[in-house]
Amino acid sequence: MTAATISTVQLAPGQAAWRRFRRHRLALAGAVIILVLVLGSAFGPYLLPFDDTYIDIMKRFAPPLSGAHILGTDELGRDVLARLMMGGRVSLSIGIVAMVIAMAVGIAVGAFAGFYGGVVGAVLMRLVDAVLCFPTIFLLLALAALTEPGLVTTTVLIAATAWMAVARVVEAQVRSLREREFAVAALAFGSSNLRIMFRELVPNAIAPIVVAATLNVAKAILLESYVSYLGYGIQPPAASWGNMLNNAQIYLTSAPWLAIAPGLAITLAVTSFNFLGDGLRDALDPRMNIP
Amino acid sequence: MARYVVNRLAQAIMLLVIVSGIGFAILHLAPGGPLSQFAVSGQMTQEDLDRVTRQLGLDRPLPVQYLDWFGRMVRGDWGRSYRDGEAVLSVISSHLGATLELMATATIIAVLLGCWIGILGALRRYSLFDTLATVGAMIALSIPTFWFGLVTIYVFSVKLGWLPAGNRQTIGDGSFLDLLHHLIAPAMVLALVETAMWGRFMRSSMLEVINQDYIRTARAKGMPEWRILTVHALRNALLPMITVAGLQFPTLLGGALVAETVFTWPGMGRLFLDSIGYRDYPVVMGILMFSATMVLIGSLLADILYAVVDPRIRVG
Amino acid sequence: MAGDTGKLGVGALHLGIPNRRQFFQLGAGAAAGWTLSGSAFAQTERPANPPDKPRGQVIAALSQEPTVFHPLMPGIEVDQGIWWQVFSPLWYIEPNGKFVPDLAREVPTIENGGLSADGLTWKIKLRSDVKWHDGTPFTAEDVKFSIELINNPAFRARSRVGHSLVKDITVVAPDEIHWRMEAPYSPYMSILASFTFIVPKHILEKVSDPNASPFHNAPVGTGPFRWGERVPGDHIQLNAHTGYHGKGPYLERVVFKYIPDLTVLYTQFRTGQVDYTGLQGILPNFVQEAKTLKGRKIFVSSTSSVEHIAPNLDFGPFTDRAVREALYLAINKQAIIDALNYGLPTLTESFVPQQAWPFQQGLPQHKYDPAKANALLDAAGWVRGSGGVREKGGVKLEFTNSTTSGNAVREQTQQLLIQDWRAIGAAMRVNNMPAAVIWGEFWQQSKFNSVLVSVNFMLGSDPDVTPRFGSGAIPAKGGRGYNTYQYQSAEADRLLSQGAKQFDLAQRKATYGELQKLIRNDLAILPLFQGFIAEGIKEGLQGFRPNINMSINSWNMREWYWA
Repeated sequence: MTAATISTVQLAPGQAAWRRFRRHRLALAGAVIILVLVLGSAFGPYLLPFDDTYIDIMKRFAPPLSGAHILGTDELGRDVLARLMMGGRVSLSIGIVAMVIAMAVGIAVGAFAGFYGGVVGAVLMRLVDAVLCFPTIFLLLALAALTEPGLVTTTVLIAATAWMAVARVVEAQVRSLREREFAVAALAFGSSNLRIMFRELVPNAIAPIVVAATLNVAKAILLESYVSYLGYGIQPPAASWGNMLNNAQIYLTSAPWLAIAPGLAITLAVTSFNFLGDGLRDALDPRMNIP
Repeated sequence: MARYVVNRLAQAIMLLVIVSGIGFAILHLAPGGPLSQFAVSGQMTQEDLDRVTRQLGLDRPLPVQYLDWFGRMVRGDWGRSYRDGEAVLSVISSHLGATLELMATATIIAVLLGCWIGILGALRRYSLFDTLATVGAMIALSIPTFWFGLVTIYVFSVKLGWLPAGNRQTIGDGSFLDLLHHLIAPAMVLALVETAMWGRFMRSSMLEVINQDYIRTARAKGMPEWRILTVHALRNALLPMITVAGLQFPTLLGGALVAETVFTWPGMGRLFLDSIGYRDYPVVMGILMFSATMVLIGSLLADILYAVVDPRIRVG
Repeated sequence: MAGDTGKLGVGALHLGIPNRRQFFQLGAGAAAGWTLSGSAFAQTERPANPPDKPRGQVIAALSQEPTVFHPLMPGIEVDQGIWWQVFSPLWYIEPNGKFVPDLAREVPTIENGGLSADGLTWKIKLRSDVKWHDGTPFTAEDVKFSIELINNPAFRARSRVGHSLVKDITVVAPDEIHWRMEAPYSPYMSILASFTFIVPKHILEKVSDPNASPFHNAPVGTGPFRWGERVPGDHIQLNAHTGYHGKGPYLERVVFKYIPDLTVLYTQFRTGQVDYTGLQGILPNFVQEAKTLKGRKIFVSSTSSVEHIAPNLDFGPFTDRAVREALYLAINKQAIIDALNYGLPTLTESFVPQQAWPFQQGLPQHKYDPAKANALLDAAGWVRGSGGVREKGGVKLEFTNSTTSGNAVREQTQQLLIQDWRAIGAAMRVNNMPAAVIWGEFWQQSKFNSVLVSVNFMLGSDPDVTPRFGSGAIPAKGGRGYNTYQYQSAEADRLLSQGAKQFDLAQRKATYGELQKLIRNDLAILPLFQGFIAEGIKEGLQGFRPNINMSINSWNMREWYWA
């Protein structure tokens, strides 16, 4: 990495952040990979001649590069690449949507608790702490085993396990920012509480929130893969990277490419989001030294 | 200090009550029950199923069941498993040993390996080693653990035959060496994520410490580098790690569940999965309460240690 | 009469039978006959040269963990694997269908005076040379205690079917017991053979809680193996009982290892870590490879269950028989069997296993004919609407199909069905759920559209399927039974009640033959294939004999030995 150049020109905070981000090569690489994955999943299926659910029993287990199927076919003769792309749509959307829900709920709960403090805040945070007592996977499995599996349920479940950490971070930030001058000034000006909460305090806590958001997508994708692997997530015939892994495990010795493809895809996506989150963290607040 | 501890304990107990309530509600309100598995075989008639439901007390209103369970739990009777009739505490303890073995081994591997990587990475910042380590750590955090486990079994058990394909011991051979042989693969898979995390934590903690003034002063005073490293830097870098360790418990437990599933390790994670599958309510509640308690103790210890170690932090 | 499942429990209720003697002979002697088939490595009927003293051990792998060791409490099939080693019933059923005495000296029949002519009085002579594992002699008191325990209201018995009819149990001598049945009940002979193990009075009468006692985790029985140790979540070890009253055991130790993942189970079999793969056996996609493994023998045996699609006959499109037939025609059964199940199971059109005596030959054969299916639906007025989905009278031909989540082959079957049925304008959606959920109210109260399931329709060895197809046996309509299909047919009810009252084997076979034809014609179920299980043993292990009359093929481990 090149040493930082000393600049005598004052940059706007946004521009400075962008500069720092650009220097974080891994984060850039991550961003590019994510873009490729998203575009590939969104538009790829239109470019392929094969449908992801078309079953061709006679052509099962075709190895990659053996014929028209670039990544081979699976146990029912479906094209693996097509399923990988459609699975990408599902896994990536679940990752992002679950993150959005988790962020929304987490920010709302955290902001309320941090701003109002007192009994309301204490009760809310105790609730958050109580749910945090369950190890994530335990909570996820317990909820998953007890609900009907599907796209919406899986998304909600994953969000349900992620919002608590966000709430905690937001609550701490809002609580500390509440006392600062600009908040007090806004109050003096007669702004309503809600306005202060969401237009003054939360935006100032944006840095850890953005970082948490990116890392949450990574976590959500991993969780989706685990839940689908256990059979509680996305149901057939829909493909997701997780349930592709689930279907592939009994054929690990006879058709390993069925497990390698989705496994690599998950690893690639999660790594990229993690690097992106790292880069954002460095860019938005280089003083923040949270590991 | 004592007041702080008492305060936290009181909070912890309240949390446990909430946890028990939430857990109980989720479990019992969900569809299906412990007798579903018998309904399709045809051996038990509707009368038999209804009778057993009554005998298990599952036809009572939910609040009554909860209060009954809660009342017994605080008196030490955590109920009996619907499957083998053993006391829940005994069921948990018979599986706990295996999980602790796994977690302890993985933690040891993770700490040793992770700290080494982290420290070296901090000392040689931006070197090839550091970059590789960073990327490697990130990938390790991103690999689906169960996939890694499956690949490990495929490579080391099926193809190479070096390691056994699961379970804790060879039947009839209870030797320590045999246990280690079976422990390697699941511990390594579990340690994967932990190592990455310890590596990153250690690296940034070390970085923060190295740039402190007192290190520069020590150098200026002419202290040998290795002494600076061990006496000053390492010690101060490790302190926050201890507190982090306490907070790792839930992640470790969750990871253990994955490893136990893939490697057929007879631990609590496996027990949890099976009990949920069979709707063995008493055991599931027992595990939830137990792990919640462990998590709370872990975080309490972490906070206390933190306060003890760093006099600047005395939380009110 | 038919479907009268009132106070005497579910199952055949035979009232007013003129000549019950022959009827009981049917129940006693006519279980399913199993014929050796399928495997290239057929076993001889009896172990040839077993050793004088027990030696060696067998590690058996199970994909579910046995946790219930009291044989009279609710348990699943793997639990029975343990019960068959530790305990003994009064008699059991051989693979060829014959009843063989175990704790009894002879199977009671009307000829030997064990059964009265009306089937109500039972006189059973017991062996006098049997000892419990702790040395105490076995007596008729134990039999009396066992039956009374089942009927004890405080005891969480698995099932009281049949046992609740037993009254006035008298111990005439230490080796003879009499009782009276409140009503004749033919399947009771099978129930005593398959599910009723005798438990020790001298231990269990002293416990305070019949549902939870030290016995539950250190059982004492009269079986060929005594309780060794249990490592929860890992394995159970049983040791040879040298004082066993029957032939064997020839193994020093038997270990049941719990391996929940079927792939890992097969891997351990391959690498030699287990000697025998029990339930759920070897996955179909591994069987071909398994047969080529050196030093291993693979057995593919039929089970009494029939894999079928269970329609909810009260649900919209399924009420129309034309729809059911069209759906059936559009199923590519051969592809399901050959491709997805690697050719292991056998086609069937009936709910009766092919090896059973009531099996009706010559039922109409299924043919995969989507063109005919389309024509049928067109003729019946199901018109293709938007998106290609047919509808008639406002009802769309769309429905869900459910099965236990996590079953790879069944999920693949569902995918194939979706595609094949789409071609005829039927829209199927998958709605899978975990076992604990699907078999709860969803199944029992007929809340499903259709289910892909495997069911053993026979009760013991009796073909009386009143609880499955009788119109009074619909739980969703307040009936007592398992008619979750909600099948209602006056003709079926007539045949069911007729068969329950007949005594002549040939006549009964004819009646149940008619019933099979009727069910097949009405397509109350869409049968796919007969159940099967692929099991493997290490070469050199003798004595393994699959038994279609048992739910588990490790029933006779007392006869196993290493050559």
